[in-house]
Amino acid sequence: MVNPVLLIAVPLGLAFAIPLFNLFWKATAKYFPPVALGFNLVVSLLLLPKVLENPVIVSIGGWQPPFCINLVAGPVGVLLSSIIALIGLLVSVYALDYIKEGPTEKYHMLYLLLLTGATGVVLTGDIFNLFVFFEILCISSYALVAYLRDKAGIESAVKYLIQGSVGSSLLLIGIGLLYGLFGTLNMADIAQNIKSVSPISVFVPMVLIITGLGVEAAIFPLNAWLPDAHSSAPSSISAVLSGIAIEVGLYAVVRVTFTIFGASSIFLFLALLGILTLLVGEMCAFSQNNIKRMLAYSSIGQIGLILFALAIATSYGVTGGLFQLVSHTLSKALLFLTVGYMIYQAGSSDISALEGMGRKMPLTCLAFTIGAFSLIGLPPFIGFPSKFLVVRAALATKETYFCVLIGLALLGTVIEGAYFFRVVQVLYFKGEKPNPRRKEAPLVALVPMFIFVVLIVIVGVYPKLVTDVLNSASSELLSRTEYIKAVLGSIL
Amino acid sequence: MSFLNSYIYYIGAFGLILVGLYIILTKHNLIKVIIGLGIMDTGVNLFLISIGYITRGTAPIFSSPEIDSERMVDPVPQALVLTAIVIGVAILALALSLAIRLYQHYETLNLRKIKEQKW
Repeated sequence: MVNPVLLIAVPLGLAFAIPLFNLFWKATAKYFPPVALGFNLVVSLLLLPKVLENPVIVSIGGWQPPFCINLVAGPVGVLLSSIIALIGLLVSVYALDYIKEGPTEKYHMLYLLLLTGATGVVLTGDIFNLFVFFEILCISSYALVAYLRDKAGIESAVKYLIQGSVGSSLLLIGIGLLYGLFGTLNMADIAQNIKSVSPISVFVPMVLIITGLGVEAAIFPLNAWLPDAHSSAPSSISAVLSGIAIEVGLYAVVRVTFTIFGASSIFLFLALLGILTLLVGEMCAFSQNNIKRMLAYSSIGQIGLILFALAIATSYGVTGGLFQLVSHTLSKALLFLTVGYMIYQAGSSDISALEGMGRKMPLTCLAFTIGAFSLIGLPPFIGFPSKFLVVRAALATKETYFCVLIGLALLGTVIEGAYFFRVVQVLYFKGEKPNPRRKEAPLVALVPMFIFVVLIVIVGVYPKLVTDVLNSASSELLSRTEYIKAVLGSIL
Repeated sequence: MSFLNSYIYYIGAFGLILVGLYIILTKHNLIKVIIGLGIMDTGVNLFLISIGYITRGTAPIFSSPEIDSERMVDPVPQALVLTAIVIGVAILALALSLAIRLYQHYETLNLRKIKEQKW
């Protein structure tokens, strides 16, 4: 029996071992993240079949819940922790060659801490613990955005830090109010007692917590930091921020509204916010000239779509939302990784500077094209089944407003298609020189890209590979009583 | 007066939070904004402490029988605040080091003058 605590303890320990080892062996720092995340991936995949039958509850310190800090490794948690470990592993292999400048050992340490924070958020069953892991994630991402120490990076890190820390203060006030009301920090215990107090007194902490988490999840009015931060960070960090950090924020929002508050009355509001986020993100992305800013805005749009799908709150909707989350994670991480070397070759991040890249770096551009097509939702890539599931879920509700909203979402997809096709056209069909000298990205970077491409195609062709896990994850999110029983079962 | 006596900590805490938020929203100087973050943080910590506090309360030591269990304060918020203070210190340190870098690049800390990145 593997213990889920290892998923947090091992990367955390290795992260703090990096500066120590760096005193004696300078070159070893960059091999720590692949080792730690490879370990996490193996452990998560070993846990996955077990948690599909029964969630694994770990009580730390020998106390029973609700008196201890506990980890809940349910289907959602382990699904997300495997995704985090997978993306983290591939991006850290990519970073072996990509990160050459600056204090590299600090980069690798912060990178591991970021992913530890993300894993902690998805596995924890204690709301204050969630706040702490969230802060680990946020603080290391503030520092990583400023890693290059250039003008843009510092400016966006300052913006990100101010907005992020106001958000976490609001989150902490909300947690404090909840503790004042219920005298417990255990999420299942709060969920069990939530009906015993008046809805008005629960409403204030709920708004504070959703606002606080919404800053990191980049839900519409709170997402001003995202395009700056994601476009100024090194590309490997942009991949992780876009592929993992905002999804983890979104997971936290969904866990809080679904499991703790069971607030079915605000789902429609969340769906509206999701569509608003989607349209704002896609329209801003359309008007960008900088390719990384374009991808960052497209992340906002995708987050909106995921939030909308989850807020439908039927089993189709939540499955579709989680599927869209997985597909966005894979596709967007791939896009940022390919763009990293394309910018490196072109010397500029303007879209017009990428003319003729398709002949200069054929493999990298092929990977970019596949990622872009998958994000738009073309078959046979992973984006197609996930978007299809979201549309089907919205239509299956047979409610007029969901049908109208999914229409708006499809309009967003059209805009998305327009700007991605524009980039693909620039890559392949613009530029004069017929046969420029080929200069491909190095092999260490091509291998992770290739693995992403393979995953995108395989899951796109056989969506059945993941539907079992997604179905049980969505039923975990939807049934609060099961969650409460799984955590507190022994003392009820 | 009894209202003030029983809620004075909450009034103080939310007063501090609002003062901090006001500073963050209206001041142009980055250092002042960081000070605002610090004040807001202090307000949140005071609020957390006051949740578990009893007037003239004492430490919850169960092994010493002379302490009346009625007068014990709740230790959990204090553990939370300890963690929150550490997190706050980390954010302040990072913010100040970013402020130094920002000044090196732009020769100003006025946030209204630093606007290279826009929508």
